[in-house]
Amino acid sequence: MKAPRDPAALARVGGLLLATVVLWPLAVIGEFRPWVLFEAQNLRVMGGFLGGFLPPASGGEFLAYLGQATIETLAMASAGIALAFVVAVPLAVATTQALSISRLGPGPGRRRGELLRAGLRILLVVLRGIPELVWALLFVRVLGLGPAAGVLALGLTYGGMLAKVYAEILESGDQRPARALLEAGGSRLQALCYGLLPGVAQELTSYTVYRWECAVRASVVMGFVGAGGLGQLMDQSMKMLNGGEAASILLTFLALVLAADALSAFFRRQLGEAGTAGHAAALGPLPLAILASLGGAVLASFAWLDLGLGALLSRAAAASIADFFASFWPLDLSAGWLWKVGQGALETLAISVLGTLLATVCALLLALPASGRHGALLEQATRFVLNALRSVPELVWATLMALAAGLGPFAGILALALHTSGVLGRLFAEALQNAPATPRDALLEAGTPAGVAFLYGSLPTVTPQLLAYALYRWEMNIRMAAILGFVGAGGLGQLLYVELSLFHQAQASTVIAAMLLLSVAVDAASASLRRRLG
Amino acid sequence: MFRFSRRLALKGALVCALAISVVPSATAAEPVLRVSAIPDEAPTELQRKFAPLGKYLEKELAMKVSFVPVSDYAAVVEALASDKLDLAWLGGFTFVQASIRTRGAATPLVQRAEDARFTSKFITADDNIKTLADTRGKVFAFGSPSSTSGHLMPRYFLIQGGINADKDFKNVAFSGAHDATVAFVAAGKADAGVLNASVWEKLVDQNKVDPKVRVIATTPPYFDYNWTVRGGLDPELVRKIAAAFLKLDPANPEHAEILALQRASRFIPTSKENYQGIEQAAKAAGLLK
Amino acid sequence: MIRLRDVSLTHADGFVALRGLTLAAQPGEQIAIVGPSGAGKTSLLRLLGAAMRPTTGQLDVLDADPWSLSTADLRRLRARIGVAHQAPPLPARQRVVTAVLAGRLGRWPWWKSVASLAYPLDIAGAAAALAQLDLGERIFDRCDRLSGGQLQRVGVARVLYQQAQLLLADEPVSALDPALAQQTVRVLTADAAARGATLVASLHAVDLALACFPRVVGIRDGRIAFDRPAAKVDRALLRRLYASEGGQLPGLAEVPPAASAQRLLRPAVGGEAARADSCWR
Repeated sequence: MKAPRDPAALARVGGLLLATVVLWPLAVIGEFRPWVLFEAQNLRVMGGFLGGFLPPASGGEFLAYLGQATIETLAMASAGIALAFVVAVPLAVATTQALSISRLGPGPGRRRGELLRAGLRILLVVLRGIPELVWALLFVRVLGLGPAAGVLALGLTYGGMLAKVYAEILESGDQRPARALLEAGGSRLQALCYGLLPGVAQELTSYTVYRWECAVRASVVMGFVGAGGLGQLMDQSMKMLNGGEAASILLTFLALVLAADALSAFFRRQLGEAGTAGHAAALGPLPLAILASLGGAVLASFAWLDLGLGALLSRAAAASIADFFASFWPLDLSAGWLWKVGQGALETLAISVLGTLLATVCALLLALPASGRHGALLEQATRFVLNALRSVPELVWATLMALAAGLGPFAGILALALHTSGVLGRLFAEALQNAPATPRDALLEAGTPAGVAFLYGSLPTVTPQLLAYALYRWEMNIRMAAILGFVGAGGLGQLLYVELSLFHQAQASTVIAAMLLLSVAVDAASASLRRRLG
Repeated sequence: MFRFSRRLALKGALVCALAISVVPSATAAEPVLRVSAIPDEAPTELQRKFAPLGKYLEKELAMKVSFVPVSDYAAVVEALASDKLDLAWLGGFTFVQASIRTRGAATPLVQRAEDARFTSKFITADDNIKTLADTRGKVFAFGSPSSTSGHLMPRYFLIQGGINADKDFKNVAFSGAHDATVAFVAAGKADAGVLNASVWEKLVDQNKVDPKVRVIATTPPYFDYNWTVRGGLDPELVRKIAAAFLKLDPANPEHAEILALQRASRFIPTSKENYQGIEQAAKAAGLLK
Repeated sequence: MIRLRDVSLTHADGFVALRGLTLAAQPGEQIAIVGPSGAGKTSLLRLLGAAMRPTTGQLDVLDADPWSLSTADLRRLRARIGVAHQAPPLPARQRVVTAVLAGRLGRWPWWKSVASLAYPLDIAGAAAALAQLDLGERIFDRCDRLSGGQLQRVGVARVLYQQAQLLLADEPVSALDPALAQQTVRVLTADAAARGATLVASLHAVDLALACFPRVVGIRDGRIAFDRPAAKVDRALLRRLYASEGGQLPGLAEVPPAASAQRLLRPAVGGEAARADSCWR
């Protein structure tokens, strides 16, 4: 009997060819050349800089700066999230299908309602699609000087994200109570409060707290464009290649991010337990205290930052801001510039794809020990490594990698890969821990080496989940790749930084438009790939 | 029920927070002269340089002077244009940008005697790079994209020497500041770089330059830095500011310290016309459209 | 070949699964293990598969004490032991061909194992094993497209492909209808006989054990109740063995539900298990 051929072989070869055809040019564009890491000169540069790490700077004056920058960073994150909340709630209420009055029937004004919703959804895409750092860069120009730019930037991007997720959460709950209220002539706000919130309030709060944790990480890097906080300090130390200061700041990052993680996890646990204890109020004393302290923190943040946002409200300021943003119109669509932006966009795409891919592989390798397969000691050690990797923002990794690999897109790829490895590694480890163990154990009991048993017994089960995580991360990384150029890691970011510095607003707005298009395209591509995984 | 009211209360608190944050900034206090400088060196260094000059100006002008640190060249221009700064230390190119941005309202007052014949130094730490032509295909570091002596004029003179920075270098880095350029080159992060002669000489004097780093070329002289006031400032105050700078005398030990920190022998009056050359160079180099 | 002397096994939760068991088997021997649920059949097979360590007593498998071997030697020993599980532990998204080829991973060098993930390196071998179990046409299907009964037979095909010197089967046909169950057990015994391998199988259906195996061991409460040639096992002996289950003798007609075999997988539609349920109730 003749053995049949594998019918999937052709598809696999095709897939491999396609991957090569896509990845090869990307690798060329991204200057993917790992061996440069081991070139004598780069080793010397990196070694010299890392050598300066010890001892970390601990001068009194520097520590005072550091403390102040840390508080500023925290305040920026809290104030930013508060602003985002204020932006997000009306947008979410307006865009969610769950609170549409005109859909009833359908009643009068349905067309108009849908148009309005579509318009607002596009606004949300714009808010989210432009990286927060780009917003910050623009606001630094308008507001100048200090954290107000960072707060506004966070408020807008996170407002966009919160609004989208809030709307989705509202739609995911049981919509009948709200519908009944609307049908009984209730207003949108009444339907929200009495019909929807009881079901989803906890999820909404939990997501908001989680976003605050992300905002802490984001505000750490705001300073790279001059918006104050730890990032500004880091930017200066990195530019002057002052290893001792960089080490102290990195340690502070690590502590801050880990603390924010832990605090956010604690809050969310407390909120998760809230409402089950049967208090007269819907929330127990502890969650209530938490909410109160959050409110206090937000107040304190605004007070500390002394943003002077009031100045924004004056007519002259509004006019000058309008003037500033008007100068970005029209876009420069000349062929020569589009060609240059196209090249930058390809480079950015290459950075995001290769960085995510590299991270997926590294994360898988790190997830194995982190899931506890090789003993508790190794598990703890790897988990610490993963936490360290992800607590250092991509932008900081990029400045470090520009030393290790030289300036250019490859530094950006490495930076994305390092940070993303930390994020994905943790998620992968959880997925592995939750995967059924029997297929792998059975193989081990048949004398299969551990590595092979993993490949045959565990990997097939978890692969779809791991790929879905990686694709989600790719959507974030395309936004990040767009701005890594601010510190010399190639792509659209460097183009934008230079053009904005030179007041070439028309050219800059073409770059921003390209960033937006790229992130929308990657979102779509990732969503369609994820659907195919199912 | 309770849950909703609490959430509403929370929202209310947020609104209050916003309102409170807005109030104090609206109240204006005693007149203050707001001064800043383009961040062509590390911000801490800028503050150190400015401290005695600030005290001197406070005394001469009989008003409070506050220094606002900025980390971005263009932000200084925007701040001057939106009346958030009164007086700023600008580079030649930033002045041209500010002049365009304020439709001619920004006025240059004084400059250091040295600024009338300013130069930039091309540096390297690579033994194989002996002339500017050897920098082709290498990683090259400018300072800030908005810098006159760290970007514009070197780029302009490179073009005249047949080197197009966009095409002929392997990679172009913007270190952001002159002292950072030296650090980039010393560490090998860039193979060669360029910075202004004044900062270079200061770093050499302070023994802060790695001995490997050496100068391979110097640009022809051009006009650079000045102190500029925003449009709409009280003419009497403008006159007093200019007078205070011009009065600085190297023979006076107190003044000598200020001048030494500013790396100036003395200050001289300047005018817009001095910067037309820079404007033309910027247009020729494609940095000004 | 196999030798257990006074072996006891206490689980981590304190449950005593085996008490002072003594048993020996010669190369090429075929033994069926019967007994009520919870008697210790699975524990015994796990001891023989070197998957669990006896709490006390002496254990030799394939002429070696697995627990005195080095890690590498233990791995080599395990590669010579094949186990067919009641609920085959196959990843849902794996293809049948890969699941069968996984039988030889213990003997393949690592590069071959990895390469085989990209293109199955021994399609002919896997096809031959599957053909013996009437599953030849499902070779390139994904495991989660199979019914519980088909899945059990894929598990058996994997053991056949492994060509182990010691074959262990833990209720390998529990999800199959009687005809198919008997055919599948015959394939196992024939394969073991042809290669001179030892076969130890626990079977729920007593009639199947008596029909297919020359030697039958009855286990109750972690002890050996009897150990004699099939011909010498009478109904009274069996009634005593199954006294705790009301003396009813489980046979092929009372195949237990196949739910356990499907636990790992999505529910399959219209498999043998479903048919068995409807035909035999």
